[in-house]
Order: sequence, then structure tokens, then C-alpha cells
Amino acid sequence: MAFTHTSPKKDEGVVATAAAPLLFSVLRRVSAWSGLIPFFLFLILFLFIPAISVFSQALHDADGSFGFSAMREAISGQNLDAFIFSLKFSAGAAFVGVVFGGFLAYAAATATRPRWLRNIVSSFSGVAANMGGLPLAFAFLSLLGRQGLGTKILNAFGWDLYAGDFKLGEVSGLITVYSYFNIPLMVLVTLPAIDGLKSSWREACANLGGSAWTYWRRVGLPILAPSLLGGFLLLFANSFSAYATARQLTDNSKIVPLRISFFLGGDISIGEDAVGYSLAAWMIILMGISMAAYWLLRRRAERWSNS
Amino acid sequence: MKQSRSQRALGRLLPTLVLIASAIFFAFPLLAMARFAFQNLQVIDLGWNNLFEKWSFSSITASFSDDFFAEALTLSLKLAVGTALFTLGLLIPTAVWVHLRLPKARVFVEFLTILPYVIPAIALVAGIVVVKPHARWFLNSDYSLIPFYVVLALPFTYRSIDTGLRAIDLKVLVEASRSLGSTWIATLFRVVIPNLRAAIISSTFLTVAVVLGEYTISDVLLKRTFPSFMAQYRQSDPRGGYALAILALLGTTLLFVAIGVLSKSRSTRPQQVSRSQENEILV
Repeated sequence: MAFTHTSPKKDEGVVATAAAPLLFSVLRRVSAWSGLIPFFLFLILFLFIPAISVFSQALHDADGSFGFSAMREAISGQNLDAFIFSLKFSAGAAFVGVVFGGFLAYAAATATRPRWLRNIVSSFSGVAANMGGLPLAFAFLSLLGRQGLGTKILNAFGWDLYAGDFKLGEVSGLITVYSYFNIPLMVLVTLPAIDGLKSSWREACANLGGSAWTYWRRVGLPILAPSLLGGFLLLFANSFSAYATARQLTDNSKIVPLRISFFLGGDISIGEDAVGYSLAAWMIILMGISMAAYWLLRRRAERWSNS
Repeated sequence: MKQSRSQRALGRLLPTLVLIASAIFFAFPLLAMARFAFQNLQVIDLGWNNLFEKWSFSSITASFSDDFFAEALTLSLKLAVGTALFTLGLLIPTAVWVHLRLPKARVFVEFLTILPYVIPAIALVAGIVVVKPHARWFLNSDYSLIPFYVVLALPFTYRSIDTGLRAIDLKVLVEASRSLGSTWIATLFRVVIPNLRAAIISSTFLTVAVVLGEYTISDVLLKRTFPSFMAQYRQSDPRGGYALAILALLGTTLLFVAIGVLSKSRSTRPQQVSRSQENEILV
């Protein structure tokens, strides 16, 4: 256990910096951080080293020297198509998730009649938001696959799902399937924000002569905006990086995670190796940007929910 | 409020419609899968007229007798136990340390714990493939998955333990225990951990759910975990594959229901805590 040998002094160095010599305060600060060494070591070994290795492989040219050719190749030609395809369905799935998840959260938060309703929605969301992976893919294969029961029901109503270009592995299909975990995830993200909307704000708006529309346009939505936008980014990252579900639905190598695993599978010449890692590197960059923005937005959104 | 009657009716109708539509959307895939899995009929023949015919559990009992079933399930369960223990051993001391000695690092550590979202499983496994030639002695073992699964579960588990620590007055408890002459080890095991029981259990369940569902890493590294077995089994026997998926779903759902019940039982605590509990499942 890391902190068995700590000194019993527990003040945060506030007193120390004033009186004690500089060396002492530096030592104290070092000893305070030293308790995190096991955690940092763990992260370095099992998260940072793999991540850095991906970049080090990605930044190799064919002759083994440092260079950006693989990174460039990973965003050109078929690889670019894959990124565009993935961006398209991930943004679509995130948008659908934000809209429906937002409405569902609002409906659950404001419904007063069955008292258990809100609990059911939030508990179910907790389960469904984590329900990626194989079971989800299997469930949708049996509902909307070519022989799926839903496909048959729609057929009976005269809607041939597969007459157009619907496929579970194409944009429309992936959006449908990913909504299954995106909508609940959005519910979980926005419920606290919706709870943060005070009824006094609505009353104040009404007293000043504002309609429901005014309230939403001038008060409600601006306050929810950071949560909604943050939710969009979270759902986007979530959809973009999903592997297991997509893998079961399709062999479509236009989906970036599937493409990465295809390159990792290794039936390809050595020179193209770096392209797979470059795809992964671009993915990390993209996820980094979305999650950083999400983090900032969440800080901002918390301003209203803490009061 | 000035609202016409029709407007108000619309305001009530719309949420109801949203709720009904969601119920359909979320229930139907599961119901369809149940029919695929447990009705002993050709998929093509499934229709309204035979909705209640030939239901049986034969598909799932058949999958139990597959040679690799027990092997895969045992491996996944061992990985789950290993990951849960590793997680607790790593995160409890870290989180306690942050709360006691380094409160200003709280945001930083929390930021580190959501990094697995930035480096998703498929990118992580790409890194593992790179490192593999240099650490075969380690990565060839099935149990080498454990630390990586700890990483994947980190956003959930750390948050759960952190929330638990926020709900108790850690500093006072520890100072009381220390001033009564207890050692650090005794304080940890007899004061801190008992007070964190609910958080520990829910973080353990979250870990187990993550491990039993993890497919990306084990698929790319060709490990025979339960999800990999499930995917493979479906190739030879689709009905059995669907049945296993339902079983896995039921298991995970039970874990999450248990987490829900646990966090409810702490609802005597201040409102703020129970609210942040609500989304401990995610970032």
C-alpha cells in the first residue's frame, strides 16, 4: 500500500511555505505526489506506452525513417472514404441520440403521473447505455436483418425495408442500431441538466410576458446548450469508436475501427502495416479533440447544476 | 401562464408519444432476439400464426455442452475477478490519497481516468500489437488482458469510488482513527473500506459487466473469452448464439439493477450525492 509510510502531517503545505525553508516545502510537495506513483506507472505501462507505440509506428516511412507518408496515406483514397463514412454515421447517430435522448429525458423528468416512470427510464438507460457489443448486434440482426421480424412486419404494411439501400452495415442501419445505446446515454447526460432548470425561471419568464417559446429560446435552451453539445460530442466519440457491434453487423471495411482491425489482422505486405497504425493514430487525435471539447463543455454545464 | 387548451393538451401528448415510441424501439429488438433464440423454428417461417409454437431452451442447453463453452466462460470469469481485484487494489489507495493529501489533483486524476475514451479499445489493441514482440512472455498469457481491462473500465470504476469517497467525511474518519492509535493499514481496512462498501460493490459490478462484454481486444488478440466464443458459436449455430447473447444480457442487467438498488439504499445521504450517482455509469 502506497501510503503506509507517509508522515502524519496532513496540512496541505499552506503553513509550510510561509515559514519552512524552500527545500522542505519542495520535499513535501514531492512526497504528496509520490502517492500517485503506482497509478501513474500503471497508466504509463498499459495506456500511454501502447498509445505512443501506435504513433511511433504511424510516423514511419516505408524505409523505416521518420516521416508522415503513412499518416497522409491514412487520410487519402479508400482510407479517406472510410473516415468520411465513419464521420457521417457517427455524426448522424450522435444527432439522432441528442434529439431523441433529449426529448426522452425531458419527458421522463417532467412526467408526474406514474411516479415510477422517471426511475424506470433512468435505470433502464443505465443498462442500455452500456449495452454495446455483441448482444446489441444480435438483437438488431433478428429485428431488422433480411429475415428479421421487424423487416417482416414492415413488409406486411407494404414497406420493403430492403428495397432501397438499407443495410444494417450502412449509414441508416448503423444510426438505427447505435441509437440503442446513444439515446440512453444522452438521457443519463441530460437528466441532471434538465433537473437544474428551475421552475422559478419559467415563472419569471411568464411574468415578464414570455410565451413557452420565448422561455425555451431565451432561457431553457441556452442553459442546456453546453450539456446538449457536450452530449453530442460524447455520443459522436462513442459511435465512432464502437467496434464489437459493427463487427457483427457487417464486414464493411469503410468503418474505421473495422478497417484498423483488418490491417492488424496482417494479411498484407509489411509496407502497409503503418497505414493501419496511422488510422488508429488519426482516430486517437479525433477522439482527443472531441473529448477535450466535451470536458470543457461539461465544466461549463456544471455551473448551473451545482447551485 | 397564458396557454391555450389545445397547446397544453399538445404539451402533454408529446411526451407520452415520445415515451411510447421509445418503449417500442427499446423492447422490439430484444423480443425479436428472444424469438430467434428460443423458438425451435426456421427463421424464415417465424410469423404471427406461430407466435406461441415450439418455444424451448434446447438451443441454450446445446451451447452449454459445447467443448469450448466452459473454457471460455471460466476464462472470462477469472478475468473478471482479476480485473475487479486489480481495480480495487489500484484505485482505492489512489483515490483515498487524492482526497486526503492532494485535493488539488482531483480534477487532474479524474481527467486521466477518462483517457480510455480518447484511446478507445481498438486503438489500445493496436498499441498492444506493436508492443507484443517486446513482451511476449507477458502478452502471450490470457491473463495479460487483466490490466488492459482495468484501463477500459477505469472511467466507470474511478468515478464510482470517487463518488463514494465524496459522500463520507474521509478526513475526519481517518484523523479519528489515527489519533486513536490505529496504523494506516488498519485505518484503511477497518475504517475506510467498510465505509466505502457500496461504492466498492458497484465498481466491482461495473468491472464485471465490462469484462464479460469486452470483445474488441480479445477478438483482435484471438483470446478465447466468452464474447469471442459467443461470436464464434453463432457462426455454427445461430440460435445458440442468440440464446447466449440473451443470457449475457440478463446477467449484465442483473448487475446493473443491483448497482441501482445499492445506490438507492444510500439515498439518505444529501441530494447532491444521489444525483451524481445517477450518471456514474458514464463519464
